[in-house]
Amino acid sequence: MSDSKYITLVSYDGFEYVVLREAALVSETIKAMLKGPFREAQTGRCEFGEIRGPVLEKVVEYFHYYHANRDQTDVPDMDIPVDICLELLMAADFLGLDSKPQMRDLS
Amino acid sequence: MGDRSRQSRAAGRRIMGPQSALTDFLASHNISANQIRLDAEARRRAAAQDNSESRPSDQQLLAESTINPTEPEADDSTVVSTGRSTRGRSAAQAAAAAEERKKAKEKKAIDKIKASKKFQKRKRGDGDSDDEDLARALFEERAKPLPGQMENCAICNKRFTVTAYSRNAPDGGLVCNPCGKELAKDDPVIKKKPKRAIGGAVGARRQVQSRILDGTYQVGGKSLMSLCIETLAKNIDLAEDLGDLPGPIVDKIARNLSKHRLLNPTTLSLFLQPSSHEVLVYDGAKLGSDDFYRIFHSVPGLKKLKVRNAIHFKDEVVDFLTTRNIALEDLYLHGSNLISQGKWIEYLQKKGQPLKSLRVYWTDKHFTDNVLAVIPASCPNLACLKVCHNQAVTGKGLEHIAKITTLRHLSLDLREAVHPDVYVKLLTSIGSQLETLSLTRVPELDNTVLDAIRTHCRSLKKLRITDSEIMTDAGFARLFAPEWLNPGLVFLDLQKCRQLESTKPRENPDGIGLCDEGFKALMAHSGKTLQHLNVHGCRHISSQAFEEAFSADNKYENMQKMEISFCEEATDFVVGSIFRSCPGLRELNVFGCMKVKDVRVPRGKILVGVPNARGMVIEGEDD
Repeated sequence: MSDSKYITLVSYDGFEYVVLREAALVSETIKAMLKGPFREAQTGRCEFGEIRGPVLEKVVEYFHYYHANRDQTDVPDMDIPVDICLELLMAADFLGLDSKPQMRDLS
Repeated sequence: MGDRSRQSRAAGRRIMGPQSALTDFLASHNISANQIRLDAEARRRAAAQDNSESRPSDQQLLAESTINPTEPEADDSTVVSTGRSTRGRSAAQAAAAAEERKKAKEKKAIDKIKASKKFQKRKRGDGDSDDEDLARALFEERAKPLPGQMENCAICNKRFTVTAYSRNAPDGGLVCNPCGKELAKDDPVIKKKPKRAIGGAVGARRQVQSRILDGTYQVGGKSLMSLCIETLAKNIDLAEDLGDLPGPIVDKIARNLSKHRLLNPTTLSLFLQPSSHEVLVYDGAKLGSDDFYRIFHSVPGLKKLKVRNAIHFKDEVVDFLTTRNIALEDLYLHGSNLISQGKWIEYLQKKGQPLKSLRVYWTDKHFTDNVLAVIPASCPNLACLKVCHNQAVTGKGLEHIAKITTLRHLSLDLREAVHPDVYVKLLTSIGSQLETLSLTRVPELDNTVLDAIRTHCRSLKKLRITDSEIMTDAGFARLFAPEWLNPGLVFLDLQKCRQLESTKPRENPDGIGLCDEGFKALMAHSGKTLQHLNVHGCRHISSQAFEEAFSADNKYENMQKMEISFCEEATDFVVGSIFRSCPGLRELNVFGCMKVKDVRVPRGKILVGVPNARGMVIEGEDD
């Protein structure tokens, strides 16, 4: 299993984003990909066949936003561009970024 | 009123458009369309003055020339010819002709406006205002001279340069700066509103508190999904279709929209997916009967319908629903007072067969005993019945409910007082299979009902009995004694079961309400399974009872939310013990517990209602 501090997320149109592993684990889906007996767990590279580059970029921005603010109480809301709102909603659903994300075991 | 709103609308929309190519071209050859027009006006005015005293006012003429300021060059030729011809003719004739022409032009312009996209959009936003009014308002705001042009003051008739700050005269037209100042003095309406704090320290704090009381508070940022849904709700008028989002998300969007009261006939369409089986309308206040027809048209496979504030869900709609091939399994109506008793009966008789759940909230007179009477015969599958905030149902109706043998969940919140014996009879016949029993606001209920629950109920999970003024501690202790064969409850609400005696409020010699023994017995019986406990206002529970129930060796893993407001004996130590004994607790309400002063709250937990300077809420910080 790859134990780099970073993982790579790839959109279907070929954009690659290198993200802090700990931050990306907010997503239940990514967590399952990295924990299970899958190729992603070995390579640390997750490909998303349904998410466009700009949308994935926003998702990555969210990972870091959430990770940076995980212990704060008064967190300002992140800006969501209106034009990709629906796509982002689909992506959030797919990635399991539902309400009450919990920072549980990060090992 | 209409005039004022029109004016303010006009003032808000004075936007300078782009110059046309022709104006640009002429300007490059040093020809100013504006100059030509001003010259023409000067000539015309001179001519009119020469000819007669009864000439039309400057303002009228000016209005004509500035009908369409965005295309001044198109106007100019006509204005110039008008100017020439007036010299020959008599002034009265000219004025009449000009008036006619002006009217024709105005009509044409208004028709054009009516066809425009902008008008359609504005109309949709405005809803009920008249077509003609709206078109005229738009026309008038176009007809206003642009900033930078010259205009005659409507009061003193002096020439002045129009700026963005020029004021409207009371009867149309613009006024010059000195007159405007005079007007402002007379104007009783103070225009400046105090600025509302948005964001910043105060606003942010308020938001956090509001989220805590909503129960949506959490440490860290919001989830991406809720961020997206909030953004979407703010911009819902841009959305044409929600695409193939999964049902739970569509439902969340619907909830968020209703929260902001944005659900109207236009946005309703977003939620009507033909393949879906359920339509949940959380705020139907803006929907008319036609919209309800539309729901049945567009979702033929409808099984579950929930409409809150369903004001226009009336007889005709029920008629329509009865005639359609729709077999509802779950019907939830809130505030449908326009359905008559006869229609309820007719609907249940014809469409009661598949009905599994019927919930009716806030009906005054028409959901009656007679309606309940038809349920046992015509709804053989009914498992859930809720009749809340109902003014018509009496003990007779409860006797009919007692015949519904399939019932699993029963919630009643009636305004008519019903004798406890009726409830005992009800529990005797259907109590054994009830999973939910909710009796809200029942001051007349006594221990016989508690005993009936103990004798007959074997599968209760949720129990609510509120506001009882007669039940005693001994009764509760008997109910929750270990002999009760019902497994532990998951939800228990016994709020305001307490003694009401204003002369000697501290004394409770008869042990009325939920007190020590009852509380200890209930925690022993159901503590391990309870997720939600509400003993709001049970003020005779002593601190010893709390301490005993939440002692160090008692763990209540499932507890999520507790409400002990107005339990006067609750102290800092009690609250601390509760947090220790309930590791999964998320929220604890302690309004009115004056002995709770300075308590340490574990991280991630919420304590609401502490009477201290920090406000009502403490969210945990200590680990």
